[in-house]
Amino acid sequence: MTSGFWHQVRAVAHRDLLRERRRGDVLWVTIPFGALALLLVPLAIGTDAKLLREIGAGMYWVIVMLFGVLVAVGKASRETQPQQDASSLLGLDPAAGYVGRTASSLILLLAFELAVGAVAVGLYDIDLLGVGWLVLTLVVVALGLALLGTLTASIVNSTSAGTALVPLLVAPLSVPLLLGATQAYDGLRYGHTIVSWVLLMAAVVLVVAMIGVLTARPLQES
Amino acid sequence: MKVQTRVRTWPWVAIAFSLVVALALSLVSPRDDVQGELVRIMYLHVPAAWLAYVAFFITFLGSVAYLLTKHLRWDRLAAASAEIGVFFTGLTLVLGMIWGKSTWGIPWTWDARLTLTAIMFFVYLGYLALRRTTDDQVLRASRAAVLGVLGAVQIPLVHFSVVWWRTLHQPPSILRPDGPAIQDPLMMVTLVTGVVAFTVIYASLMVKRIELLHLEEQLAEIERSTERPVAGEAVVVPELGRNP
Repeated sequence: MTSGFWHQVRAVAHRDLLRERRRGDVLWVTIPFGALALLLVPLAIGTDAKLLREIGAGMYWVIVMLFGVLVAVGKASRETQPQQDASSLLGLDPAAGYVGRTASSLILLLAFELAVGAVAVGLYDIDLLGVGWLVLTLVVVALGLALLGTLTASIVNSTSAGTALVPLLVAPLSVPLLLGATQAYDGLRYGHTIVSWVLLMAAVVLVVAMIGVLTARPLQES
Repeated sequence: MKVQTRVRTWPWVAIAFSLVVALALSLVSPRDDVQGELVRIMYLHVPAAWLAYVAFFITFLGSVAYLLTKHLRWDRLAAASAEIGVFFTGLTLVLGMIWGKSTWGIPWTWDARLTLTAIMFFVYLGYLALRRTTDDQVLRASRAAVLGVLGAVQIPLVHFSVVWWRTLHQPPSILRPDGPAIQDPLMMVTLVTGVVAFTVIYASLMVKRIELLHLEEQLAEIERSTERPVAGEAVVVPELGRNP
């Protein structure tokens, strides 16, 4: 496997997506779990329709942040050390491996966001404002979470904590994404410009992507 | 293998001296017209917050240096600084909550500075938790270094949060473009002395913690080395044909 970088990225992403198609973890576990969480929240805080409409978007993004991590983590935890060694011996560029795993996570996270989003709109009666900006926000958040989740899963790989530590590492680091997403929606609702929030999220995505690509080799070699 | 056992005592002296000077000045400085005696918390709160920034920035620098050089001394620097940074971030939050309870009426408010500081605290708690997950020094160092770089993104967010968002927390008191906000000279001297004293405490704690980390690593190396007695070494193999 000494082909070009993007060919390796495609191969890794394809492998991960194929594995997901066979196991169906995101489809059969993570999405229903996220939808269930959205269903449980009103039972705890009250079922007033006005209140739920008010908090619906924020609640949706919290669910995306907390449960979205599971998508990236689940994939990484299935890659054993011998598999990583084999990939390395075959000449897989560690950066290509990172980008490939992120790409497959991105696709799965987008699927998760759309499925859970449909449930949130149904249960909380959320207004869909500024569809173009909303789609852009969904993509940037999914990309940021995919990059962060894949990077932190690589960090905890080969340690005794396994993937249990990943949510503790990802949740606080994904706060700029959560802030950006929720504030962007509020901006759309009240007619404010949301460019600065999208730029904040894009900056986070850029920084994490750079760190992920630059540290892929040291992480693999150690 | 010989263990390096040189233990420095001057850091303890420096810590004690700095604490005495900072506390004495904070007690003799005048009371504030608006906040009253509560202003004295500021002489601990601001230096503690300053140290949190410094400590996590040093963790960032140590992490970058480790990734570039692979020398474990940089990892020790980053780890020691993160531990001290977590302590001082916790202290900042607790002191802020005590001040907030008396001034705002509630210990916690969902203010950008407070919330982001708490989040930074959890980021570095995660860093310390990660370090405890493996005994392999090189594996631990490389994993922690990446997180040390990633976590540093929080530092400017926390500092500039009071500028970027309209919050309850007041803007920076000293590091501001139009000069310090504190007008009373003795108050200013007390605050600056507090910052210097806390920085001395940080440096002293760093020396002691790095020393300790170095000794821990040496101990771990001895335990792994072949020089130590192996299990069963005391058992003498009986010679065939000879009954005791």
